[in-house]
Amino acid sequence: MTQRLFAPITLLLVLIFLIGPFLIIVAASFSAGDTLAFPPQGFSFKWILKVFTVESFRDSFVMSMFLAIGGTFAALLLGIPAAYAMSRYKLPFSETVRTIVSAPIIVPGIIVGLALLRYFVVPIGLSITLALFLAHTALVLPYAVRVVSASLNNLRSDIEEAAVLLGSSRLGAFFRVVLPNIRGGILSAFILGFVTSFNQVPVSLFLSGPGVRTLPVDMLGYMEIVFDPSIAALSSLLAFLSIGIVFAAERFLGFSRYV
Amino acid sequence: MFQNRAEALALALPAAIFAGLVFLVPVILLLSEGFRSADSWSLSAYADFFSQPLNRTVFLRTLKLGAIVTAAAAVIGYATAYAIVSLPPGAKGRMIGLVVLPLMISPVARTYAWIVILGRTGIVNQALMAIGLSDEPIRILFSETAVFIGLLQLFLPLMVISLISALENLPKDVVPAARVLGANWFQVFWKVILPLTREGLVVGGTLVFTGSMTAYITPAILGGSKVLMLETLLYQQVTVANNFVSASVIAFILIVMSFAANILLKRVATARNKR
Amino acid sequence: MSDTSFLTLDKLSLAYGNTVAVKDLDLDIRKGELLALLGPSGCGKTTTMRSIAGLMTPVGGRIRLDGADITRVAANKRAVGLVFQSYALFPHLTVFENVAFGLKLKGMRGAELEAKVASGLKSVGLAAFADRKTPELSGGQQQRVALARSMVMEPKVLLLDEPLSNLDARLRLEMRTELQRVQKESGVTMIFVTHDQVEALALADRIVVMKNGAIEQIGTPEEIYNHPVSSFVADFVGFENIFAIRDGKLVAGTGEVFLSGKLPEAAGLAWRPRAISLGSGPLKGIVRGVSFAGGTREYVLETPLGIIKAEVDAALPAHALGTDVAFDLPVGSAAPLKRFG
Ligand SMILES: Nc1ncnc2c1ncn2[C@@H]1O[C@H](COP(=O)(O)OP(=O)(O)OP(=O)(O)O)[C@@H](O)[C@H]1O
Ligand SMILES: [Mg+2]
Repeated sequence: MTQRLFAPITLLLVLIFLIGPFLIIVAASFSAGDTLAFPPQGFSFKWILKVFTVESFRDSFVMSMFLAIGGTFAALLLGIPAAYAMSRYKLPFSETVRTIVSAPIIVPGIIVGLALLRYFVVPIGLSITLALFLAHTALVLPYAVRVVSASLNNLRSDIEEAAVLLGSSRLGAFFRVVLPNIRGGILSAFILGFVTSFNQVPVSLFLSGPGVRTLPVDMLGYMEIVFDPSIAALSSLLAFLSIGIVFAAERFLGFSRYV
Repeated sequence: MFQNRAEALALALPAAIFAGLVFLVPVILLLSEGFRSADSWSLSAYADFFSQPLNRTVFLRTLKLGAIVTAAAAVIGYATAYAIVSLPPGAKGRMIGLVVLPLMISPVARTYAWIVILGRTGIVNQALMAIGLSDEPIRILFSETAVFIGLLQLFLPLMVISLISALENLPKDVVPAARVLGANWFQVFWKVILPLTREGLVVGGTLVFTGSMTAYITPAILGGSKVLMLETLLYQQVTVANNFVSASVIAFILIVMSFAANILLKRVATARNKR
Repeated sequence: MSDTSFLTLDKLSLAYGNTVAVKDLDLDIRKGELLALLGPSGCGKTTTMRSIAGLMTPVGGRIRLDGADITRVAANKRAVGLVFQSYALFPHLTVFENVAFGLKLKGMRGAELEAKVASGLKSVGLAAFADRKTPELSGGQQQRVALARSMVMEPKVLLLDEPLSNLDARLRLEMRTELQRVQKESGVTMIFVTHDQVEALALADRIVVMKNGAIEQIGTPEEIYNHPVSSFVADFVGFENIFAIRDGKLVAGTGEVFLSGKLPEAAGLAWRPRAISLGSGPLKGIVRGVSFAGGTREYVLETPLGIIKAEVDAALPAHALGTDVAFDLPVGSAAPLKRFG
């Protein structure tokens, strides 16, 4: 009897622990009161609507979107050829290349941000936006390489040779037979990179200036000053955005195969 | 396998050069600052750093929190993973989905929720007072407990997933076989499950440990300046004290920890591939 | 190079880094010939094929095809087809698109393309499957698509790397006939790799036996089967009793070996199990194994020469396990070997 109850009770408690706080945040964002509290006082959409009127949120949202999309795109542009070289060629120094390319996953983001600030932004005058872009690209690069490598390794390499023997050039073979078959992996890499970059805080902590700030860093700053439910509302919106994207990706791509 | 080395390099070099230039060079420069004093190489920055009680406290606290979060995640993780793998396939898939769901949510949002729960007027305090366990709100926020809870919630899913895949690879029927041979549940776990899932535990443990060690958001929100951890200390050293040498020392400690954990992970992964 | 040679390998050497896989290989192949490359795993069959196809650059030697030196010609310009052991079909394309792939690259479009692909598919009996995605096909069907995909390109040479090894026994027989038919109908020069001697003997006009990256023997199936030049080839084509000759004597485990007949000038002698005569003769052995194989009975004898395998008509009286039996190694029915080892 105790054994039969063990599993459901464990799962219930763990789910409450893992998901409960998120549900509370969602509930709190519909509060009608002026301070963050649970149970929420009354019901209204006012905090949800307020999120859209805060100018700094709008700016930092655009910045975060730009970084997440642009940075991931750049990381894929660099990462796909690298992953291809590692999986299909006898690459000289391949271990070194692999280590360098995946190093950003090992080094905590805050250090990368600080290093860029100290050696690029301050002395050279690199713009903060550009530094953020470079940092986010470097951050996503290991994920891009890993996910694309995984889907390349699942694809037999002799189909490229078959394409070449049927008259295609090496480059043509890549676009005609490799790319169509790793499309799912690339999209998955893109989504993983997007979510990673968008939610990333430490790398952007030091890389903020007047009017240039990522959304999560902006939220951190805001919540230190104001204790109203708008951060809860924004958090809920963002959470539903990422969950929606990942859910759709899983549904249509089988996202989890690659990650 | 194509043989053309020039082509291979042309494909791989842009990524390597990018990572090297944008990432490796500045990070190495930063780390080197901690090993210089005046014009020569020296370890004095490290001696200075560890001579200050606050720094020692933060260092040890970071290790301690990393360790107990990992331990707690392992215990809860085993129970959860075992419960999940014994579910029928459909329910199992949904349950795994629910466990990984929080990973998709911004850590800022996830951590912020604990303010509502653990704050002075939060749910926990309301409950404590309602059932008369306490007359006035107790302080949970900005304590190690709060940081512990926040970190555990953040990283538990990583442990659960690692253990699920380890448990799924258990040879079929070893648990019933051990039970039939007369082992009680504790013995089954200690003598059968643990040895056979040790790799999964190491993988999950390293992820949780490095995650906790290098966390910024959770100690920043739930610990504040009272419960500093290495990353929040680093941030303070830069923004408040303008002390880049100390920041470099912390950075080096963090990287060494993270690197060691990753090497361990790689070892485990290659050991697994060999089998 | 002989005048009749269509594809010529001239002192071809191939290597992976520092590992030499094929060394100084010479081979002349006639137009329209069906040639089998036979040899044990790792002897360099695939490597040789890949270099003919242009997927691998030789470290030495030349390749000539149809009068032109193609040693440095890119793989996509060679007009050489290759059917991979794994078939290497494009999983994202349909059967039709797979077969049309190379033709489209040649610029073929519209009705001409449709007709050409359709006839290609028809010749391998897959006309009804044009719209299927290739992963949904059985192994034999995938094999046929791969064949059609190469054949519609009208290659000067078609290479097949272990084309039948992924198929079950029944399909293998069926595809064997199919291959032979396609080759005879189209007249294409065909080289196929196998490590199955039965397959090579059944299909090929000529067989090339390879060993350690070099050619051991070239010949018609009859030549290879009846007159192996070396102990290696003999072993490969089913001579189970092989002995070296040294100082005019058969090298045996112990003692002197009496043979009925005079030893020829050779490095060794090889007997098939059927060539051993059992029941009488100057030699003695103990029956250590006997098994009934339909029309015949197979014996394993322990003898002073070592283990001898013999196969005799099942109608003859059986020798029981453990009994002594006299036998003979008739020199007249042995294959003399030019090389031993
Ligand atoms: N990519 C490679 N790198 C290094 N050595 C290789 C590679 N491919 C093959 N070789 C080596 O070259 C030699 C010839 O290999 P090859 O694949 O041509 O043999 P094969 O006759 O086709 O064998 P099989 O019957 O097993 O397919 C072998 O010793 C093999 O180990
Ligand atoms: Mg081979």
